[in-house]
Amino acid sequence: MPATSVDTFFACSLMVLLILSAMAGASKILYPQISNSVDEFAYEKLMEIAKHLLLNPGEPLNWGQDSQVVPEKFGLAKADAEAYTLDIDKVSRLNSENRFSISYAQMFASLKISDVSFRIEIEPIFEASINLTATFHTENETIYQFEVSTEKDGVPVEAELKCYVVAENYLGANQAYALNGIALFNVTLSEDVGGPALLVVFAKAVCNSRMVSFGAYCFEHNLGEPQTPGTFLRLSSLNHTLEALFGYQEIILAETYALTFNCFSTLAKIADENQSATYSIPYLQDSSPILLVVTGRNSTNFFIEWVSYPQVPLQTGANFESLSALSNVFAYSYIVIINNALYQCKLLLGGPR
Amino acid sequence: MIKRQNFGQIRILEAFLAVIIIFSAFAISANFTVTRCNVENDDLASVGLQALMQLDSDGSLGKLLDEENWKGLRETLSLALPAGISFNMTVYNEQMQQVNPTIISNGALIGQKTAAVEYVCVSRNPLFHCYVIYLQLAVAK
Repeated sequence: MPATSVDTFFACSLMVLLILSAMAGASKILYPQISNSVDEFAYEKLMEIAKHLLLNPGEPLNWGQDSQVVPEKFGLAKADAEAYTLDIDKVSRLNSENRFSISYAQMFASLKISDVSFRIEIEPIFEASINLTATFHTENETIYQFEVSTEKDGVPVEAELKCYVVAENYLGANQAYALNGIALFNVTLSEDVGGPALLVVFAKAVCNSRMVSFGAYCFEHNLGEPQTPGTFLRLSSLNHTLEALFGYQEIILAETYALTFNCFSTLAKIADENQSATYSIPYLQDSSPILLVVTGRNSTNFFIEWVSYPQVPLQTGANFESLSALSNVFAYSYIVIINNALYQCKLLLGGPR
Repeated sequence: MIKRQNFGQIRILEAFLAVIIIFSAFAISANFTVTRCNVENDDLASVGLQALMQLDSDGSLGKLLDEENWKGLRETLSLALPAGISFNMTVYNEQMQQVNPTIISNGALIGQKTAAVEYVCVSRNPLFHCYVIYLQLAVAK
């Protein structure tokens, strides 16, 4: 073989080897940045979709109010309201416990973006949790000692508290103050009052009157034992009406209340059918969620059921926990206004990788 | 005239030249890509701006500024921002003089990549005041 052929063969081999190694090295160096570029595009695209969900009312504009209507275009904003104000009924219909809720499939179809799955989480800005710490029995009454803690992600929140106690033919109210995120107070109930009883606590952050959280705690009183929520009635609130669907045949409803931080009201029944009843919810001008409490009897037992309006906290949509390895998932957090109160809304959106 | 015996050496030079060209092309194109930290900064700025807008929507932000309630302002922002975000806020008046004598912050931002939001707030009192809020945000580590 001539010497020039050996040189040419050697040069070609070296050239191919060097080019291949250069390409491999370059792709290894550049891959993270190319990937980030794709991530940024996906991030911006999904953020626009998240904003679209919160800033557009969808079609028809009032799809939340009519239980029979499924939105043609999905959006949660309240029509003709300021930015990031959500419609109380549209939000309530996201909760699967509401009888008029729309399914994720319906939301997904009405969003009309086939390659984007999403999850919506709405909750009060901070948490209010209730604990029964002690019970003292006297001759004619029982004293219950409660501890209410208000915190956000473990950080205490200074808050004013409004506490309501509901029992059979009984509604009591008092106030407390959570100085370092903790408040201790007593509830005294006479032995004449039938149980179980329900303690409802509204907590309003001292720093901002529109940041209101709430909690409910059903406890045993006078041999009346609390039951799992939803045992006797399925409560669904929509379009300022409350529907109570009976879980048993022989149910007799008693008093029904609408409670907020600053006011309470007894609800008027507007329809009474064999297995359901409908109440009108008043338009209360209070920056607070409304807690609707229904009392009644099932043959021998007294019961209390409750639901909030808007029906939060809620989590609906795709479950990304098992899909995180398959798709890019971005989380977007927003402060939204519902019924003049502030809530935390977290949107998780994911597309194909 | 190039001798036939030198053809192999020239091809080796060609190979090196080709490699240099390819590397330099990749090196230049790398500068056009955007890095992840920009995404995080945009996200933080968006979260901060949205929180300020919502707090200002009913005038409560301006009220806190008028009252010089710096503790309330810090607590309000701590509640409004998602967990794990630390902030540092400075408030200026119309003459761009700093108004807050104390630090409005929930954690140090030292050594972290921060996002900044500038927001103009007008209080709703009969004698209204204009404030310029400079909010720095970072993901707490």
